[in-house]
Amino acid sequence: MSRNHGRDLIHRWEGNPAITIDDLGFACADISTAGAVKFQNEYLLLLTIQSLEGTYSIYPARSSDGRHFQIGNEPVLAPTSTDNKVQYEQMGLLDARVTPLEKEYYVTYDVWGHHGFRLGLARTKNFKTFKRQGYISEPDTKGGCLFPGKIKGRYARLERPWEGGSIWISYSDDLRHWGGSEIVMSPRGGYWDCTRIGTATPPVRLPIGWLIIYYGVKGTSAGPLFRLGAAILNLRNPSKLVGRTDEPILSPREIYERVGDLPNLVYSCGLIVEKGGEVKLYYGASNSCIAMGFTTVDALVKACMNGGDRP
Amino acid sequence: MTRNRWGGRDLLHRWEGNPILILEDMPFPCNTVFNGTPVKHDGEYLLLIRVEGQRGYSFFTLARSEDGYHFTVMKKPAMVPATNGPFAKYETRGIEDPRATFIDGTYYILYTAVSEHGYRIALAQTDDFEKFERIAMISEPGNKDGVLFPEKVGGYYVRLDRPLGLGVGSIWLSRSPDLINWGDSEMLLPPRAGYWDPFRVGASVPPIRTDKGWLEIYHGTKMTSAGPIYRAGAVMLDIEDPTIVLHRCMVPILSPREDYERIGDVGNVVFPCGAIVEPDGEIKVYYGAADTCMAVATANLSDLLECQTE
Repeated sequence: MSRNHGRDLIHRWEGNPAITIDDLGFACADISTAGAVKFQNEYLLLLTIQSLEGTYSIYPARSSDGRHFQIGNEPVLAPTSTDNKVQYEQMGLLDARVTPLEKEYYVTYDVWGHHGFRLGLARTKNFKTFKRQGYISEPDTKGGCLFPGKIKGRYARLERPWEGGSIWISYSDDLRHWGGSEIVMSPRGGYWDCTRIGTATPPVRLPIGWLIIYYGVKGTSAGPLFRLGAAILNLRNPSKLVGRTDEPILSPREIYERVGDLPNLVYSCGLIVEKGGEVKLYYGASNSCIAMGFTTVDALVKACMNGGDRP
Repeated sequence: MTRNRWGGRDLLHRWEGNPILILEDMPFPCNTVFNGTPVKHDGEYLLLIRVEGQRGYSFFTLARSEDGYHFTVMKKPAMVPATNGPFAKYETRGIEDPRATFIDGTYYILYTAVSEHGYRIALAQTDDFEKFERIAMISEPGNKDGVLFPEKVGGYYVRLDRPLGLGVGSIWLSRSPDLINWGDSEMLLPPRAGYWDPFRVGASVPPIRTDKGWLEIYHGTKMTSAGPIYRAGAVMLDIEDPTIVLHRCMVPILSPREDYERIGDVGNVVFPCGAIVEPDGEIKVYYGAADTCMAVATANLSDLLECQTE
């Protein structure tokens, strides 16, 4: 069913939610987010699954059509029990985001521990074995998204430090030591993203700039309301905004987006751009299941460029 | 000058002429003068002080002294918040708490840049404390109290700082190949429940190399119903691997007790930002008191080292 005059720019798949805890071969507390990549003609997701004990790990899921997924029973990234690292990741690893870079795939994820969130980095060539590359930030920051290419000769990432609730960019020569941090986008007073914002999907390179989906939060008396928006960043200097959607591209409306452990939440860690420009967006709903939606690159760009107020 | 005061109130003993700088010593109108970092440069004591202006944001001014106790404050500020260039948007609410480290023949100043985007650590350089050059913003927001080690350790520059994740205020250690890009961050020193520093801790004095390890004089806070109490403590780090804490002094080495430490814009605060070790082994610790004035306290360095082992 196509919904040309639907309620949101992103059209939900009629089979939503795509993955719930009932689809797993094991018991768990919830499934909160999915990183996404198309690898050797297969759709791969990296799911954040919370165990019944309450810790987070990253599990793989595979599909031939991008809609129906087989979920692995073993995590590909799980918190370490090494003594001096436990303090950094006792709550677990979550929100994996995949970036193709230099003939490999890099996975950024949030490491949650006693000191808050910090960013972790891993790499893989086959999505079977993952090599952890250590921590690439201090606390308290999350939502790390690596750019799929160097910018002016340097690696770059987006992220959301807790302080200020804005999206920032940092640079590195070696993916280990980072600097040059600059602010990219901030919450907008009077808008749906007025309380804090954060990176959602890793940047996609387009002729007009880097396309990102981000999440925006509005605080309410019942708690935060998480929606998704989109923005385009300057190719050579991504701390410069080219465009930003005035309106959300996806808001919690369906029952699986309204009801769950964290109600009224849509939150994405990955999308797949098909050859014809179709976009498959994978998003967590209410921190409890994974759903998917469709749009096109052209529709996202148009929405970003129609945004009035900047930044 | 130096007296052993084991029976006294604090291991660091206050100079009897304290406070060394108060509002009335300033050659221009301002609100407060505090949190200064000292160096001994060509035989002269230089103190880069934080001044909070009447409008409410802070900047740095230089004070000079022959003896380390009697200071003359320069009329012209040494460093004010950037108003143009890449630093400006991160200094819209001022620059605070400088810490000077002499390394490779020049002075590096780590300071806290304050803006609507939060606190972050910035790096500047000077050869003479007259001209300052900003090098880089070296942390993300939500971080402050950066101090630089005076030499490379294991081939890397090393700094301590105080990110604030989940409100847990611990001292962390990071490394850099070039002073601009930083990584390999590790938690070094957490607050201690049941002690005088249970709420938050942060680096204060740039680490001092001693025979027994790196001496770090830090600040620790205890939260009370009337607000936090800021005290100074000491910790010894391994020379080869400063992520190893050899000893942590059980008791504070300086606590707010005098009127000028108890009374001010932020009462009950002693906050060191630097120290000078004299050839005879005396250490002069310069500290801001109650966010309102500057004071100095001294000890024999060897006494401070003994404190480490109880």
